[in-house]
Amino acid sequence: MRRRRRRGRGKSGQFDDRKLIRIALAGNPNSGKTSIFNALTGQRQHIGNYPGVTVEKKSAIITVDGKLVEFIDLPGTYSLSAYSMEEIVSRDFVLNEKPDVIVDILDSTNLERHLYLLLQFQELGVPIVGALNMTDEANAKGIKIDHDQLGMILGIPFVKTVGSTGLGIDLLLDVAIKVAEGELESNKRHLNYGKRVEAAHTAIINTLEMDQVFSARYSQHWMAIKLLEKDQDAIKKISKEHQHFDLVLSVAREWRERLEKQFAEDSEVIIGEQRYAYIHGAIKETVSLSGHSTGIDFTEKIDRIVLNRFLGIPIFLGIMFVIYQLTFSLGNPLADGISIMFTRLSLLLTRILPSGPLQELLTNGVINGVGGVLTFLPIILLLFLGLSFLEDTGYMSRAAFVMDKVFHMFGLHGRSFIPFMISTGCAVPGIMSARVLTNRKDRIVTIMVSPLMMCGAKAPVIAMLVAAFFPNNATLIFWGIWLFGWITAFFIALIFRKTLFKGEQTPFVMELPPYRRPLIKNVILHMWEKSSEYIKKAGTVILAASIIVWFILSYPKAPQNTVKDFGKTDVTYSIGGRLGKSIEPVLKWAGFDWKIGVSLIAGVAAKEVIISTMGILYGIDEDVSSQQSHVDFMVKDKLKSDPNYSPLMAFALMIFIMIYIPCIATLAMVKKELGSWKWSLFQAGYTLLVAFIMAVGIFQMGSLLGFGG
Amino acid sequence: MKWLLNNRNNGLDFNLKTKQTDDWVRHLSELDTESDFKIIKINARGEIRRRLLDIGFIKNQKGRVVRKALLRDPIEIEIKGTRVSLRRSEAEFIDVVEQD
Ligand SMILES: Nc1nc2c(ncn2[C@@H]2O[C@H](COP(=O)(O)OP(=O)(O)O)[C@@H](O)[C@H]2O)c(=O)[nH]1
Ligand SMILES: [Mg+2]
Repeated sequence: MRRRRRRGRGKSGQFDDRKLIRIALAGNPNSGKTSIFNALTGQRQHIGNYPGVTVEKKSAIITVDGKLVEFIDLPGTYSLSAYSMEEIVSRDFVLNEKPDVIVDILDSTNLERHLYLLLQFQELGVPIVGALNMTDEANAKGIKIDHDQLGMILGIPFVKTVGSTGLGIDLLLDVAIKVAEGELESNKRHLNYGKRVEAAHTAIINTLEMDQVFSARYSQHWMAIKLLEKDQDAIKKISKEHQHFDLVLSVAREWRERLEKQFAEDSEVIIGEQRYAYIHGAIKETVSLSGHSTGIDFTEKIDRIVLNRFLGIPIFLGIMFVIYQLTFSLGNPLADGISIMFTRLSLLLTRILPSGPLQELLTNGVINGVGGVLTFLPIILLLFLGLSFLEDTGYMSRAAFVMDKVFHMFGLHGRSFIPFMISTGCAVPGIMSARVLTNRKDRIVTIMVSPLMMCGAKAPVIAMLVAAFFPNNATLIFWGIWLFGWITAFFIALIFRKTLFKGEQTPFVMELPPYRRPLIKNVILHMWEKSSEYIKKAGTVILAASIIVWFILSYPKAPQNTVKDFGKTDVTYSIGGRLGKSIEPVLKWAGFDWKIGVSLIAGVAAKEVIISTMGILYGIDEDVSSQQSHVDFMVKDKLKSDPNYSPLMAFALMIFIMIYIPCIATLAMVKKELGSWKWSLFQAGYTLLVAFIMAVGIFQMGSLLGFGG
Repeated sequence: MKWLLNNRNNGLDFNLKTKQTDDWVRHLSELDTESDFKIIKINARGEIRRRLLDIGFIKNQKGRVVRKALLRDPIEIEIKGTRVSLRRSEAEFIDVVEQD
């Protein structure tokens, strides 16, 4: 009987007469924050961003005993410095929004490191409740924590929890609400930093107090500490908002320099060490180890194999291979099934609706678009499933450890492998997964090059071209081109790093958390969150794009009395056809004709559309061939027999398709993740340029060497 | 290669000895797998120093080199009861003495 209370969704009407209790959840990565958030909120969550930044914000409102309680998930961080967006977002949230209480999730098996973050939240001057999570593991390891005593020392209530089973969650909620309502005390007092630091601290507070508006806005105590730490964000806030900022900053500098002389150490380090010293003292009095930990633990046993110097990379590649195999062997039949369903639906509509613009809009525009989105859904779900699984078990950091050297040589971070790998399935989730990179430059470079991989939509196009023009070496050439995508991504990343994104090396320092059994519920939930984001974001854009593509390939119609060039289509007269014709002189350098030009333009909506557009251009009637493979087959035949096309041109075309403008859904996701269309435009521009240069280079060189025939 | 590195550092760069012990002060990056160490000083600045501090690299802290990746980079370190991973270039900022 865990759920004693009735919980339900808060109705908006109830906001007026009841006070909303706001609880922020904080904690180090891998402390079990997501598990506890899910257990507390019963999985009814709203996902958005913190204002102005692309840091994900999850929140949920529930009712507990008739009270409205809102939970806000703060980003998981090790500290609250001003060096990363996540940390600044956390502090600003607490400073500006002043939640009623912060619930800080701590890993009981690793209290020393986890209390370090808790102390920094306490410095912000908000009431705190500590959740001693992973109690089951601590018990198993013989770690005994006297949580009452610990609470007395730090002036904070602590509750023991097990996030994965929900043990202690009700009590945690109870205590948090009591603290929020002031029934239970949680000390806002901070730790004592020692005599000399305290003197500096008090002096700075005295000058800060001169501006009363400022003092009311921010915790002075926190500001004073941050000024001593030379925190850039705090200095910025003072300079902008404090009446006597000159005086405050000069007083702070004076005291800081005095301290640094006394300790012969940097102020940031002095304060950090004081925090650790304080924690050390608290732990000595409250934590005891009974029994001896028996040699190597489970995690170490696995790591001896998985992180073995020589086995590490093969094992990593093996795991990735298994994920792909599962994704595509399960996903492709499902995708085909969905695709067939939509073709049937389209045929049905053709039969019952009178022919005309409406019918065409519905079948060629809307159904094609929705079908395109949903056909990819199974593969995306499965990719995210694999990703969540890797993340929740703890293997992700190991993979970064194993792969970092290679990636670092190209100016990337070990974790960049995740977006790269996922992009090999589909670039849209790949770009979403770049959130694992906390440094902005790493993230931008990774996102910029991820779409160069062979994705599930380019694969059938490349496969068709390979089969048409290189039937003898099909497999070899296909995988060669697959590899080419990776190599290009690496080299372009390196070029970006050396030119546009020069600058400080970003720390790799990262924790290798113990392996844990993931909660199936959480893995599924995670997968669902991500996939529904794909549908929402990519879905609307893909739908709009396919309607636009349909339109530009259909209008204006051919005049009634003209003899049509190609079968029964009007494409030659359409906007798209004219566009293709007008760029043909340029395309010729790469050996492409206007039909390929039109297909490539359509391919920006979604890469797989390239085949069906060629189908239209060659007058293959889709009504006849209700199955995709049939269209494929016929396009292949037509291409092969077209005297204008040579294997050399096909090769240039395949390289072009690999590199040029990512699909519109990818571009939309880039905008969402990096916060500006500027990046999408940049990506579209540079890929087009590189693709064109490569295609022209290949075609011209090849022609010179006599491969043109 | 590794032998050369150690040799060079012992011979030229690090004539320093700590007052209390007879141990050589070395960079954390130079230690072999499985060696225990105590931190003497962190020479980094800015973000890297802060990250090291936040994850537990402070003066007098003890730790152990657990293992190294294929090209001896990155390095896995056990410190304050957890395992963390550092690049070689980052471990170079950390002065340590070996412990038995
Ligand atoms: N044994 C144990 N495992 C837990 C507990 N809480 C969470 N986990 C597991 O620890 C892993 C990380 O948890 P998660 O909630 O994703 O942590 P987060 O990174 O802080 O969001 C998952 O595999 C969870 O199933 C706990 O109290 N005990
Ligand atoms: Mg999480």
